[in-house]
This record gives sequence, structure tokens and C-alpha cells, in this order.
Amino acid sequence: MDALLTKNKKLTTSTAEPKKQISGSEALLRCLVAEGVDTLFGYPGGAIMPVYDALYSYSDQLKHILVRHEQGAIHAAQGYARVSGKMGVAMATSGPGAANLVTGLADALIDSTPVVCITGQVAEHLLGTDAFQEMDVINTTLPVTKWNVQISKAGDIAEQVAKAFYISRSGRPGPVVIDITKNAQFEMIDDFSYEVCKSVRTYSPKPILDHSTVEEAADIINAAKRPYILCGQGVLLSNAQDELLAVAEKANIPIASTLLGLSAVPVNHSLYVGYLGMHGNYGPNILTNECDVLIAVGMRFDDRVTGNVNKYAKQAKVIHIELDKAEINKIITADVAVHADAKEALTALLPLIAVNKHHDWFQKFREAERKEHEKVIQFDIYPVTESLKMSEVVFELAEQTKGEAILVTDVGQHQMVASRYYPFKHPRTNVTSGGAGTMGFALPAAIGAALAQPEKQVVAIIGDGGFQMTVQELGTIMQYNIPVKIIILNNNFLGMVRQWQQLFFESRYSFTEMANPDFIKLSEAYKIPALKVEHRSRLNAAIHNLLNIPGPFLLEVVVEKEQNVFPMVPTGAGVAEILLEAHGTRH
Amino acid sequence: MKKDYTIEVSADNNFSVLNRIINVLNRRRVRIKQLVAHEDEHDFRKGGATMLLHTTPELIEKVKHQLEKLIEVESANYYEGSEVYMELKNNQRVA
Repeated sequence: MDALLTKNKKLTTSTAEPKKQISGSEALLRCLVAEGVDTLFGYPGGAIMPVYDALYSYSDQLKHILVRHEQGAIHAAQGYARVSGKMGVAMATSGPGAANLVTGLADALIDSTPVVCITGQVAEHLLGTDAFQEMDVINTTLPVTKWNVQISKAGDIAEQVAKAFYISRSGRPGPVVIDITKNAQFEMIDDFSYEVCKSVRTYSPKPILDHSTVEEAADIINAAKRPYILCGQGVLLSNAQDELLAVAEKANIPIASTLLGLSAVPVNHSLYVGYLGMHGNYGPNILTNECDVLIAVGMRFDDRVTGNVNKYAKQAKVIHIELDKAEINKIITADVAVHADAKEALTALLPLIAVNKHHDWFQKFREAERKEHEKVIQFDIYPVTESLKMSEVVFELAEQTKGEAILVTDVGQHQMVASRYYPFKHPRTNVTSGGAGTMGFALPAAIGAALAQPEKQVVAIIGDGGFQMTVQELGTIMQYNIPVKIIILNNNFLGMVRQWQQLFFESRYSFTEMANPDFIKLSEAYKIPALKVEHRSRLNAAIHNLLNIPGPFLLEVVVEKEQNVFPMVPTGAGVAEILLEAHGTRH
Repeated sequence: MKKDYTIEVSADNNFSVLNRIINVLNRRRVRIKQLVAHEDEHDFRKGGATMLLHTTPELIEKVKHQLEKLIEVESANYYEGSEVYMELKNNQRVA
């Protein structure tokens, strides 16, 4: 032992200018700064305290937003990432703190959102001993992360954090968890340096484009009479909006969007025909089964888009442009699979595409749109009902914001209505929980979006059910005066479930009606000005106040209790079986 | 029609890599008849698993890509039948 001490002493004293030692916690923060992180969302606790202590000295470089629940932290990080294209970062303690991230991790994984979560963990010698607030974070988050890693030595922090950021943002983005034991946070190191990760031996995020597949796709597109583009979020993630439009404009191809693809193509573009899926537009759904070539770009044929796959686009040749090889042929078999980043594939495709016109084909979309307008849209926008409808609220918001706002939606009827009627103009202005369908997503996600894009107006549309799932984040909005504009569409129901109960379960409203608190008093308790609207005559002025009173604002709109969202593809039905109305159902 | 397949997965020998591999199979409800996991004789940082699976031709192809999507997995190759599994298992001298 004495010999070792002597040796160590020699090592430290032999250097002319000894390096300043830093803790693992400080090393972590230096890594974040090196990665360009400037904002993180988190909640402290025992096992992450050394990091929070180090953070006290880094507040000029890292803005930490104290949320009110760890789920709020990760959804805020998601919102931040989705509107900015930058990494979202969330931080939590061990055990329950980490467990509260799980919903957001699952959401970020399925919706391809680049988020890094840092969790504190008990000291290495306590791992597996059922210590206080110990939980197996690696195995708990394994199915809901793109990658995760546990670090138990301060010397490993730089390399593993670099790897985590690289994995999270590259290829198809996704969430990564870094679980750091408390001893590693305390441990002092004297040789900190940070190198951005550029590769991982077993991971190939960017496939090599096979040009023959692009040529094959071009031949099929050039011969098509009724080609049809489905635009997914992959277009936004690879920033391929211009390339997609260039291809579509040259060959005159209609474009429809998935839920997460919304905002990639301006809604007022002449080639844009609408929104796909269970509550999407009529034409885009039924004409999926009439196109002769289906060109799916950066989308994964979610079951909410395809309906019954056995009745999906059987007549069409399918071209699937997709970065994630596991998505190709997973749900729909592709005639031509272009395994590539959307931007690269579309850039290669453009010169091979012939100029074309598809007048008659577009005419079919226009006819379908007329039918949808006659049966659904006119009643949604200009209702004859006494009570307010969700759709007219969205329409009024659209009028007043001119489609310039970032729209953050929760999950349920209001989400479908907002996605149908908000006129998205700019990329990355649609933030919603798609694949996971996470109620409670919108309020915290809007916080992240507002912090990432402070020059933009951020409007969160939320149902009364979802709002109460993460309502505590009003505290975060209050503390940092985050200018989120909140619209609660209150029907005192879990509306989408109620709609299904009405249509498919003989109106047996099993536990879907809600007694709600006074949302105005609740908001005012958090010092957020609020207004309640129950009559159509006051809607215009109320939305004007919402948008023009500086800072956060909450607007509760009492809407029709039993409004149904149409069109609708019932479960098990094909996309061509989409319903415009149900017998005995008022619009 | 379900058949036996041997799948050979090469990966980094990290903690939890086996759990990740099994997780993919569990999610797709693929039956694992036998399994051998090992670390590389020459480089402990590498390893892998060889498994005898019982599934359909469609699903084995999908599972291959889902396994290769795992960050630590270098490759996943499959062969029809159990012969290759027995051969690999014997070569690895693992009972």
C-alpha cells in the first residue's frame, strides 16, 4: 500500500503544472456543453445530486428547467427537439425518477425523436442490492430506447456521452438513456477531454444508396397514370421538404401526409391533397386504393394509416423510400425498396423523373374533397348546432394565426380535429404524439417547443382528459413565465373513447364522463391568466386575447359534449371503407 | 408454415446485449428452441448468440432486420433447419 501511495504521489508531483481535477458530474456537464446543449429539463433527487451540485456552477451555460414531474421533463425535451431539430435533454434521479421517464421514452422511440435522458443511479457497490431508489434502469428502458448505457466510472463519461448523442441523433433518431452511478458522479478525474463520436463499430446509420433501386423507382413513376405520394415524418427528419416538392411538381403527383408528416408540405400547396389515416381526409384514404403507384417516403405504414392491411393498396405498385431497413416490408411489401435517407433518395430521383401531368387523377381528389366538404367539413366549420364545436375553434385559431403558429396537440378527438383543420405552413410546426398516443403529452411538449422557438407563437390544444394528466406543468410555465398559449377543448368526456363506445359498443359510456375542476381558477392559482368561453359569439375575441396578451394564457372552450370526429375508418375496415357519417349521428 | 431456423447473431459483448436480442424475439413472439451465447475467444469485447428458432419464413426475415437494428448487433444471419445450429454449437464447445 505504501509503495502504491508513493507511486501515486510521484505521478501527481512529477508534472510541472498539475491538471485541475474535475468530478464525473462536471465532466458530464462539459460533455453537454461540448454537444451544443443549452437547455435541459429535469427534476433532482438523491442519486443525481452530485450532477445538480455541479450544475449550480454551470447555470450560465446550461439553462435547467425545473419541471414538476419527470414525464414533463421528457415530453418537454421532445417538444424542444421536434421543433428545433436539436437534441432534447432530460435529467432525472434513480428509481421512480427514471421510471417516470418511460412513457416519454416509448413516445420518443416510436416517433423518432432525438432525446438523451440522464438518470442518476445508486453507487456501483449497491447495484442489485435493492438499495433505496434503486431500479434496474437499463432493463426497464431497454425496450423503449434506441440505446442505453450504464456508466460506473467517471473516466468513461466522455466517451459514452459522445456515443449516446451520436446514436440518438444519427440515422433514424431516437431516445437514449445514460444511467450514471453516484460514485461515478463523485469520482475525480484529471484527464478530461471530449471528442465528438463519429462512428460506432456495429452501427450503420446511413445506408449506401443503391442507385439501381432509384432507377427502378423512376421507371415505375414515369409509367404511372395515378401516382400518389405519402409523406411521412422521415421527410422532415432529413429536411427533404424541397426535394419532395421538386419531385412531386415535376411529375405532377398528389401528396398526402401522415399525422407526423404534417407541416412538411404547406397545406395550401396545389399538390397537397390532405391528411391520411383513421380520421384523415376522405380522398387521401379512398384513393389509396385507386392509385397505380404508391410512393411512400419516410413513413412506416402505421396501422392508423393502413387500416386493414389486407385491403390496402392491393392494386398499386409500392415504392418505399425509407432509412430504417427494419421498416421495409414490415407491414406492406414494397415492389421497389429504396433504402436511403429521404433527401438523398429524392435528390437522386429528381433528374430521372419525367415531366408529367395527371389532370384526371387530381380531379378524383377534388371530387372526393367536395363530397367530404358537403358531408363533414361545412358542418364542422360553420356548425348549425347551438354548442361550440372543436373544429370551429381550430378554424378560428387558424384564421387568427394564419397558420404561422407551432401547434402542439395532445391525444384524442381534438388532436384529429386540429390535424385536419390547422393550415400548417412551415416545417416542424406540428408537434403531437403519434405512434404512442400519449395523453398528457401536449402541455409539457409545448413548454419545450416554446423554449426552443421563442420567436414563434406556440399553441397547445388539449382535451380536458389529457390536460389533467400533466396539469402540474402549469407550475413550470408559471415559474419561467413560458409563453405557452393553452386551449382546453372541454367536453367533460374522454371524447374519442366515448365516440367508439357510441359507435361500436351500443352507447354504453363506461367510465368516460368526467367531472372536471374549475380550469380557470386552477390556471389563476398558477398565476396564468385564463378565460372560459361557452358561446360562439365570444370565441373570436377570446382567441384574440389568447394570442395577444403577452405571456402564457389559458383558454377553456366548452364544446359540444357528444361531437363525433368524421371521417372515420373503423377498426378492421379498409381505407376505402372510410365513413363520412354514422346513422343517427349528428355532425 | 413454421419451420426451424438457426440464427447467428454477432454483437458487441456489452451488458444487456443478450436481453436486447431476446427482447426482439419476445416482442415478435418467436419461439426459441435452443440458445447458446458466448464471448469471442480472442476478443472479450465481442460476442454473440446462436439460436434455434421456430417461426415462419416471413417473420425470420423481419426479425433479422430488427436484430440488426440493435446498436450493438453487427450482423444476424439465418439458415433453414437445425443442422447449422448443431454444428455451431459443437464448434463453440458449449453444452
